[in-house]
Amino acid sequence: MGGSVLLAVRNVRKSFGENADRYLALDGINLEISEGEFVCLLGPSGCGKSTLLNILAGFDRASEGSVDFEGAPVRGAGRDRVMFFQDAGAALLPWLSAEENVRFALRVRKVSKAEWPTIIDKVLTMVGLKEHSRKFPSQLSGGMRQRLQIARALAVEPKVLLMDEPFGALDALTRRRMHGFLLEIWQRTGKTIVFVTHDIAEAVTLADRICIMSLGPGSRITEVIPVALPRPRDLADPSAARIFKHVEKLLA
Amino acid sequence: MRAAGLFAGSIIVAFAVWQFLSTVVFNPFLIPPPLLVFKTMVPMIENGEIFRHVAISLARVAVGFITGCAAAIVLGVMLGRIKLVNDLLDPVIELLRYLSPTAMIPIAVIWFGIGETSKYFLIFWGTFFIVLINTTAGVMRAPVIRQRAAECLGASELQIFLLVVIPSAAPYIVTGMRIAMASSFMSIIPAEILAADSGIGFLLQQSSVLLQTNRIFVALLTICVLGFVSDRLFRIVVDRMLSRYMSYISLT
Repeated sequence: MGGSVLLAVRNVRKSFGENADRYLALDGINLEISEGEFVCLLGPSGCGKSTLLNILAGFDRASEGSVDFEGAPVRGAGRDRVMFFQDAGAALLPWLSAEENVRFALRVRKVSKAEWPTIIDKVLTMVGLKEHSRKFPSQLSGGMRQRLQIARALAVEPKVLLMDEPFGALDALTRRRMHGFLLEIWQRTGKTIVFVTHDIAEAVTLADRICIMSLGPGSRITEVIPVALPRPRDLADPSAARIFKHVEKLLA
Repeated sequence: MRAAGLFAGSIIVAFAVWQFLSTVVFNPFLIPPPLLVFKTMVPMIENGEIFRHVAISLARVAVGFITGCAAAIVLGVMLGRIKLVNDLLDPVIELLRYLSPTAMIPIAVIWFGIGETSKYFLIFWGTFFIVLINTTAGVMRAPVIRQRAAECLGASELQIFLLVVIPSAAPYIVTGMRIAMASSFMSIIPAEILAADSGIGFLLQQSSVLLQTNRIFVALLTICVLGFVSDRLFRIVVDRMLSRYMSYISLT
């Protein structure tokens, strides 16, 4: 917290289609994200959270406005901002084992081969998949696949993790474990995380700041709520519960 | 083991029904009983006649099939990847694919004569469209998420294409090849009946002219065994070499 500004989004508007079919998804988004910060984008389904995340990743371009990363405009995707998908089965390479999936990342990143074993060992250990390194994604559980996706991302040493409802398809218990796990990784590595969710509890559990987005068309960030509570957080704790209620009211 | 037993049982029952139909229900000249067919077959095997025809037909299928697959995969990948190529060629392909190899026999004979080239062409023709359509579909359906995930790990366009898109399309391509192989074994027969002086189809035609129904049945039986064995061999090769690309279909 309080690091230098890493991602700066200014007056971003995004529309799809043309003329009569034109749909305005984002209408004037302003957001600054500091190094090491954990930011949640929270809003109802279809509010343009994923659109904004795709623009941050460089998959999509803003129709108007600017997105700067470390002071330079974002042009296309790059390994300093790694996107993290909900459907890990589709995002991973299913014909490669866990270890080989990480190796794929190192290969495209052009790390010298001599370093591969050390890095693979390090990231797989970090996510607790060391004993499963030879298994294929189809042989891993949903939570393990997400951890493998995290390991693969960490291998390319990104500055920012962009996460698009990454735990949305997991059962409640696994999701809670993944929250603890992600926070641990975040605290250990100091990565900046932009996390999209429509789950209030998830946002209050994880975020330094919650950016609330309004329902589209023409979605904006209507409110930014700082969550200055120590982690791990207990939602039954009065101060956390107060924030939860406040956010709930804003989204109602 | 049980499956093998049932398989053998099914074949034995079929032969019994065949024997019954040919001797009791119909005229044994029209449907020669299995025993007579085997008796006819033995000298044809001993003097190598049947193998000569099989070898010639197989060589025609092999040349047409392999060249057809190669051309179809190259073009199919371009159709799936380059929108302009697809827009330009798709309408033509959608029309041409209704011309079965059989429909092309008369013109093939005029173009290439009754030599080997016309048979190569006809098998090529049949193989080409089946593999082409499957390859295009496979390349188009390579999950966008998977490509984007690779892109933000730092993969270049070429790496995404070679290491993500092509392996993702592999199951479609292989399935297309398998269907095309079965179709090749079907279309070589009319081609040889109408325009050849050797091969299984020619054996059928010649025996028909001479009213040798027993020899016709030997040829028919040979076609069954040939198609079946080649398909099994194809599957074994695919299982050995490509299993990691094929086994995940259920996952995604």
